[in-house]
Amino acid sequence: MSIEPFNRLVKLAARAFYDDITKGDNPSKNTRSDNRGIAVVVLDALTRRQWVREEDLAKDLKLQTKQLRRTLRFFEQEKLIAVDHRKETAKSAKIYNSAFNDNNNYYVHSANGNGNGSSINNGGNGMGDDKVKMHTHSYCCLDYAQIHDVVRYRLHRMRKYLRDQLDDKNKIQEYLCSDCGKKYNALDVSRLISMEDMNFHCERCNAELVAEMDNAGEGAGEGDDNARKRSREKYNDMLNRMEVQLKPLVEQLNRVKDLAVPELGSLQAWEARALAAARAANGGSGGDPRANQGFGTRMPFVGEPKIEVAISGVDDTGGSIAAQNGNEPIKVLPPWMIKQGMKLTKEQLGELKEEPMDGSLDPLGSSDDKKKAVTEPEDSKHVQEEFMKAYYAAYIKREQETTVAASDAHLSSTERLVGEKSKRGDNDDGEDVEWEEEAPVDENTSGNFKVDLNVEAGVSEEEDEDDIDWEEG
Amino acid sequence: MFFHIILERNMQLHPRHFGRDLRDKLVAKLMKDVEGTCSGRHGFVVAITGIESVGKGLIRDGTGFVTFPVKYQCVVFRPFKGEILEAVVTMVNKMGFFAEAGPVQIFVSNHLIPDDMEFQSGDVPNYTTSDGSVKIQKESEVRLKIIGTRIDATEIFCIGTIKDDFLGVISDPGATS
Repeated sequence: MSIEPFNRLVKLAARAFYDDITKGDNPSKNTRSDNRGIAVVVLDALTRRQWVREEDLAKDLKLQTKQLRRTLRFFEQEKLIAVDHRKETAKSAKIYNSAFNDNNNYYVHSANGNGNGSSINNGGNGMGDDKVKMHTHSYCCLDYAQIHDVVRYRLHRMRKYLRDQLDDKNKIQEYLCSDCGKKYNALDVSRLISMEDMNFHCERCNAELVAEMDNAGEGAGEGDDNARKRSREKYNDMLNRMEVQLKPLVEQLNRVKDLAVPELGSLQAWEARALAAARAANGGSGGDPRANQGFGTRMPFVGEPKIEVAISGVDDTGGSIAAQNGNEPIKVLPPWMIKQGMKLTKEQLGELKEEPMDGSLDPLGSSDDKKKAVTEPEDSKHVQEEFMKAYYAAYIKREQETTVAASDAHLSSTERLVGEKSKRGDNDDGEDVEWEEEAPVDENTSGNFKVDLNVEAGVSEEEDEDDIDWEEG
Repeated sequence: MFFHIILERNMQLHPRHFGRDLRDKLVAKLMKDVEGTCSGRHGFVVAITGIESVGKGLIRDGTGFVTFPVKYQCVVFRPFKGEILEAVVTMVNKMGFFAEAGPVQIFVSNHLIPDDMEFQSGDVPNYTTSDGSVKIQKESEVRLKIIGTRIDATEIFCIGTIKDDFLGVISDPGATS
């Protein structure tokens, strides 16, 4: 159910395959159209979002809309992302915004702080002068299921090509006359066939031909053979290097293989779900996007709707505000929902109150996972089970992070120049996004804001990666 | 691959055909001369589909033959490297087997037959898998890929492989009908 392994897959694939591509036919017309490395940045950004409007993404990445669109179109052709276009008025854009705000509150906050959020808020503010003007907006999000297939197919094709070359699969068979030593190849056989015994006979001495063995020809030492040997070596080397360099990607693919693919659904479905969840959380006041904006952040909508509804209103303050308003009773979280990095109120924990879950699950203390697991044997049985599951998930994730960090270093070292470029872009992006994502966290410590689970999970991991990248650069 | 192209040819016509149906005679002779031939450049001429134009005839000194430049549309078949063809096996021996796809002859040598197929000599020589489920013998229909062509002025010979995905004996009954 977790989206994180898939995000990791996307990031790895981006660095492996899309690091050095240049889109457009004229690669270096001017510096502005130089978009090497942009692909990685865009894909990374998309892993942190769900359905996102292209303009918003461009603003967020400080890219020109045109440039971003070109990149996105490329990814659409590569079948990495799903794209939806629709004509909408300012009013209908609002629907998206309200859904969007619910899911990406951290992003909206920061955008407002930057003064960049105007377009987002227009949906809500511009309601008064309700324009009937229709604009076509494009939305995009990662298509995880397809990405999985695309990456696997790509690897398969690469491997198959190299193996075919190695096997000399399409080599033309040669034949040798055992008596006079004359050589023929398979293209000559039509005139060599003898009607008496249906075998091949030498034109000169009429002796029967034998198929020439591959390694027998090696002694001949002809230039032809040498060339073949060299190309064999080349392909062998290439295959080996490919296996080594793409190992992290392959491993990630294997890990992801049995996991359920996060399904974001179509834009409409996603919006509908987001709105429904928002309403449920805010006691029916979800109609107004402005109202939502200040309130709770919610789990990303990556699973079945019923789960998301259960998760909404997860945050402590969001829940308590709802409780104060008396609109909605606080939801009791099922034990399997309680994971590392969640701040939970007693009410949410329900009958698990007596157990010190709250402290041990401090989101900011995620670095000492291991100790926690050891120090908690006194927990009640079934909670412990659930916790162990969550802990192992977190532990595996950490392991993946370390391997991937190493792999990132490896991957980006292959193309120094491009890597540098992309890193600079990444830097911008990273700063931007980190700032955005940290904002709610900081506020959380002051107790005024809720924590988006998504953000919690993302921050530490994000920083890991970015750190590595910078070291490289 | 098939192509529909326009070719030109100088036709020599005997004076005895001069008359009312000269044109018909010319076309009949053209078909007889051209259809089924092979040129290295264009491949096999399968059929003439129409006459584009017949130029002015030129009477040859001494013989009385007349030469007409004729432009005609025709369907040609030319095999290419990498092309997938369906062919009928015509002969099997221990070196491989020969197959025909229309006019073109294709040889598949035994190292381009999947490794699990073994040559079985006998009354009907064939290649058979170890479990006997797939058998290639005379008259079998196979799908193969052309990996090499030898194109002479008047002959095209190909070598093919069935050692790849989806190649080999066409067992799907729908595919053959």
